[in-house]
Amino acid sequence: MTLSQLNRLALRQSRASWRLLEWRALAAALLIAICLSTLLAVTGAKLEKSLGQQSAALLGADLVISSSRPLPDKRAQAASTYGLQSSTVTQLSSMLSGNDKFLLGSIKAVAEPYPLRGEISTAPALGSVPEPGTVWAEKTVLQRLGLNVGDPLTLGYSTLTISAELLSTPDRGRGFGSFNPMVILNQADLAATQLIAPGARIDYRLLIAGPKTQVDQFEQSLLPQLSSAERLVSLNSEGNLQGNLQQNLNRYLRLSAVMALLLCALTILLSLRRFSHASLNRAAVLLNLGLQPGQLVQLFGLQLLQLWLVCAAAGTLIALLLDSLVASLLNSMIPGQLPDATLLHWLQGALMGLVLLTTLGLPPLLAISRVSVSQLLRQSEPASVTTGKVLMGLALLALLVWIGLYLDSPVLALALTAVLVGVSWALGLIGQWLTRRLATLLSGRLKLGRLLVLRIQQQRRWQKLQIPVMSLLLALMALLWLARGDLMERWAEQLPLDSANHFVINIQPWEKDPLAAFMQQQGVEAELYPMVRARITGKNGLANAEAFNAEQKQHNSLNRELNLTWRSQLARGNEVIEGSWPPKTDDNGNTVSVESNVAAHLGLKLGDTLSFSVGANQFEATVDSIRKVKWDSFQPNFYMVFAPAALEKLPTSYITAFYLPPENSTTANGLLEQFPTLTLIAIEQLLAQARQLIEHLVDASSLIMAMSLLAGTILVITLMTQERAQRRYENALLQALGASNRDCQQLDRLEFGLTGLVCGALAALLAELALWPIHQMALKVDPVIHPSSWLILPLLGMALFTLLGSLSRRAPRSLWTQLRAR
Amino acid sequence: MTTPDYSPVVQATGLTKWFDSHSGRLSLFSELELTIQRGESVAIIGPSGSGKSTLLSLLAGLDSPSHGDVMIAGQALAQLDDSQRAALRSQHLSFIFQAFHLLPELNALENVMLPLEIRGQQNAEATARQWLDNVGLAERHSHYPPMLSGGEQQRVAIARAFATEPTLLFADEPTGNLDQSTGDAIVEQLFTLNREYSTTLILITHDSRLAARCGRVLQLQQGQLVEQPAAGSAQADAAEEAHP
Repeated sequence: MTLSQLNRLALRQSRASWRLLEWRALAAALLIAICLSTLLAVTGAKLEKSLGQQSAALLGADLVISSSRPLPDKRAQAASTYGLQSSTVTQLSSMLSGNDKFLLGSIKAVAEPYPLRGEISTAPALGSVPEPGTVWAEKTVLQRLGLNVGDPLTLGYSTLTISAELLSTPDRGRGFGSFNPMVILNQADLAATQLIAPGARIDYRLLIAGPKTQVDQFEQSLLPQLSSAERLVSLNSEGNLQGNLQQNLNRYLRLSAVMALLLCALTILLSLRRFSHASLNRAAVLLNLGLQPGQLVQLFGLQLLQLWLVCAAAGTLIALLLDSLVASLLNSMIPGQLPDATLLHWLQGALMGLVLLTTLGLPPLLAISRVSVSQLLRQSEPASVTTGKVLMGLALLALLVWIGLYLDSPVLALALTAVLVGVSWALGLIGQWLTRRLATLLSGRLKLGRLLVLRIQQQRRWQKLQIPVMSLLLALMALLWLARGDLMERWAEQLPLDSANHFVINIQPWEKDPLAAFMQQQGVEAELYPMVRARITGKNGLANAEAFNAEQKQHNSLNRELNLTWRSQLARGNEVIEGSWPPKTDDNGNTVSVESNVAAHLGLKLGDTLSFSVGANQFEATVDSIRKVKWDSFQPNFYMVFAPAALEKLPTSYITAFYLPPENSTTANGLLEQFPTLTLIAIEQLLAQARQLIEHLVDASSLIMAMSLLAGTILVITLMTQERAQRRYENALLQALGASNRDCQQLDRLEFGLTGLVCGALAALLAELALWPIHQMALKVDPVIHPSSWLILPLLGMALFTLLGSLSRRAPRSLWTQLRAR
Repeated sequence: MTTPDYSPVVQATGLTKWFDSHSGRLSLFSELELTIQRGESVAIIGPSGSGKSTLLSLLAGLDSPSHGDVMIAGQALAQLDDSQRAALRSQHLSFIFQAFHLLPELNALENVMLPLEIRGQQNAEATARQWLDNVGLAERHSHYPPMLSGGEQQRVAIARAFATEPTLLFADEPTGNLDQSTGDAIVEQLFTLNREYSTTLILITHDSRLAARCGRVLQLQQGQLVEQPAAGSAQADAAEEAHP
C-alpha cells in the first residue's frame, strides 16, 4: 500500500472516528491544550518582550539612585567622571485639585535631559519635559477631576496649566504611590508648590545612563559609598517593581494554566487508550487483509497527524481571537502597549500539541501494531503490557520535563506536580470514602440501594480521578469568586463603623494649630500625632551590621525610615505588655517604647539601647517598655514612642486620622482649599485601587480557569465513558430482572449526583482551607465559613455531574441486544 | 407457589416487527399469532437472523412491536407504561441467558437475592439460600461468579430465575456456553423444576435435542412461525425416567 493510499484510508478512518466519543474527547482536549498554550506563549512573549525591551525604558535609565533625602551633587559629578549622563527626578504623593474636586496623585518633577531611556508620550506631543508653568496629567487625573487639557490644576500652593494628556511614561517610581494617577511637572516649578517639607515622603532619584561597561563600573564603585537612605536600582535588581510585576504575572498565568494542561494531557492519555482499544479489532482485520505492522503504525499515526493538523489550525485561530481579550485585560495593569509576539510564539502551542500527542500517543499506537489476527477469534488484549508501561512512564516523564520547560523552573514543576498529585490522591481517597458512606446510608432506603453501593464500588478507580479533578476545579473557581468580591468586602466590613477613613499627612508644625481649629470648627474629632522620620543605626553600641543577624537585617524596620512619635498618654489600641509607661527623657538619656512585633523580630529586650539617625543627628534611647499595638485600629500607630521632650528639636511633621461620613464632602474639600500642601488619603480610594488590581488579576485568570473547567469537564466525560458499556449492560440486566428503566436512570443519577455532591463539598472545604491563611495572615480578620459556597458548590457539583452523566449516555440499544452482545 | 387462574399465559396477535434502514424498511416478521397455555414448554427454533431473539424480547416486553400486541397473564403490554411493564416482569417473568449474566461483584447468594430485592420481597435471603440449595449449590453461597464453573454459574442463574416463582420463564440458548454433559445436567434440572413448579417455559435454541424435549416446537422462518410436529413428549418422559 502506498503512502497516499494509507493517507486516504486514514482520512476515511478519521471521518468515521468522529462518531466515537473518545475521539471527540481527544480532539477537544488537544484543541484546548493547543489554544491555551498558544495563548500563554504569545502573552508570555509579549510580557517578556516588553520586559526585555522596556525594562530600561521602564526604569527611564540604566541605573537609578533613589533616596528619601536630597541626593548630594557628588553623585551626579561622579557619574559624569565615568562619562555617564544623569538627570534628577523628584517624586512624591500629594493631593491634586481642580474643578472643586481632589485626588491623591503621584507628582513627578523632572528636568532636561529626561528620560534617559524610553520615551514619554503625550497628546499633543510636546517633547519630553513640560514647560515651566505647565503640567502633564494622566487620563485618570483628567477623568476623576473632570478636567480637560488647557484647564488649571492645583498642586500645593501652585496652579499650573494642563498642557497635555500624559499617555505613557517610563520611570514610574517605586512603592504603592507609583500606582497613583500621575502628573509630571518641570523641576523648576516644584519649589513654588511648597510640597517639599520636612516629613513629606519624597523619592529623590538620580537617573544614570551610558555604555554598559561604564555603568557597571560606576555601579561597582558606588555600592560601598551608598548611605543608609540611598538605594540603587539597576536593570536586574529586585527593586525594579514593574519588572517584577510582569515576571510574576507571566509566571502566575502559566501556573494557573498548568492545571488545565495537565487535565488535557490526562484526557488525551485516557481517550487515546480507549481509542486504541476500540481499534484493535479493526487493526486485526487490516492485518488479516495483508497490511504490515509498520504500515498499521503509519496508518494510525497519519490519523493522529490529521487530527493534530485540524486542532492546531483551530486552536491557533481561537487563541488569536482570545489574545485581544487577554491583552486588553493586561494592558490595564501594565503601562504602555504590549509589543507583538513573533510567529514562533504563535506556533508554540501547535508544536506543544504535537509533542503531547506524540509522547502520549506512542504507547497506544504501538499497542495497536502488536495486535495479532487471533484477536479476531478470541477478543483478547495484545500481550506485551510491560513495554506499554515503560513507554507510558517515559511519556509521563516527558510531560514533566515539558512542564518544567514551560514554567521555566524544573523545581517548580516538580513541586507543583508533587503537590497536585498529593492533594489529588488525598482528595480521591477522602472523596471515595465519603461517596461510599453516603451510598451505604442511602442503600437502606432505596430499592436499588445495594446496587448503588456496588456501583460506587465498581467506579472507584475512575472516581479517584473524577473527584479530585472536579473538586480542585470547583475549589479554584470558588476561590477566584470569593477573592474577587468577598475578601475585600469582608476586610472593609470588619472595620468599626466610625473608624477613621481619612488620613492627613505632611502637616507642618505651623499648620498644626490652624488645622486643629479647622477640624474643631467642622465638628470632626481628630488628634494630631507628631512624626519624626529616623533610621535605626545600631543596637547596644554596635552598628546594624554587627548588632543584627542576617534574618533580622531583612526586617522592614531596618531597611527604611521609621516614623517616631512622642506622647505621654498611651494611645487607643496600645497596651504595655512589658516594662513601664510613659517613656522618659532626663539627664540619663531617653527611653523608648517599642512595638512588640518589632521587638520580637529584632530581638530587643528591656534595657537594650537603640541608636537612631535623623539626617545628620544621631541619638540613642533605652528600651523601657514593649507595647502591643492593634494595627487595624485605623489610628496612626507607631513602632517607637518617645517622651515628648526627647524629639522636639528634630524636624517634625504631624499626622492625623478621622472619620468622615460618606455624605460629608465639604470637610475634605474645605481642608484642601485651606491647606493645599497637605496630603489627604481617603481609605476608600486605596481600597478601590486594591480591589481593581485584584479584579484585573481575577479576570485574566478567569479565562484560564474557564478553559481549565472545560478541560476538566471533558476529562470527566471521558472517565464516565470508560465504564459506559458496563453501566449499560448492568442496566439491561437489571431491567430483565424486573427493574424499570426509571429505576436504572435513578441509579445512574444517584451515582452521579452523589459523586457531584461530594466533589462540591470537598471543593467548599478546600476553598475554606485556602482562604483561612489569607484571612488570618494577610487580612488579619477572623476566618469565617462561607455558607453560600457550602450551599452552591455541592449543588453545582451535583448538577454538573448529572448533566455530564446524561451527556455520556447515548440512546441505549435494545435491552436484549445488550445482553445478547456479551 | 401461586398459580394464576387464567390461561393462556402468552397471547400474541398480529405481531409485526420491522426496522427502518437506509435501504428502506426491513421486515423481520409480520402478523404472527401465538398462544401459549399455562404450564406449556415451547421451543422457538430457526436459523440465525430469523428474529428469534427479537421475538423473545417482544414476548417478554423488553422491546416494543412495530404493530400488534402481546398479552402476558391477561395484561396487554401495549397498555402498560415502563414501570408497569417492569412490575409485570418482576412479578411473572424470569430469564436464563446463554452467557449466564451474573453480576461479578455479587456472590452467588447476592445474585439470587437481587431480583427478590428489586421486587421488595421481605425474606429475600432465606428464599435465595433455599434455591441455591435446591440447585445443588449449598456449598457455594458465598462464592463469586469467577470462582464458579460454567455449569455452576448457570445453576446460580437457574436459581435466580426460579427464586421469584415466575409464571413464565424465558431461556435463551441456556446450554450454549456449556459442554455437552454439563449442558445435559443443566437441561435436566431446568425441565424438572419447570414441571415441579408448573412454570411456562419459552426456550430459544439451535439444539434440536433440546427443542425436542419441549411440548411444542415453533420454527421461525422467513417471517412466519410454523408449528413443528411434537415428538418431544415421549423423549422428555424417557429423559425424566433416566434422571434420578
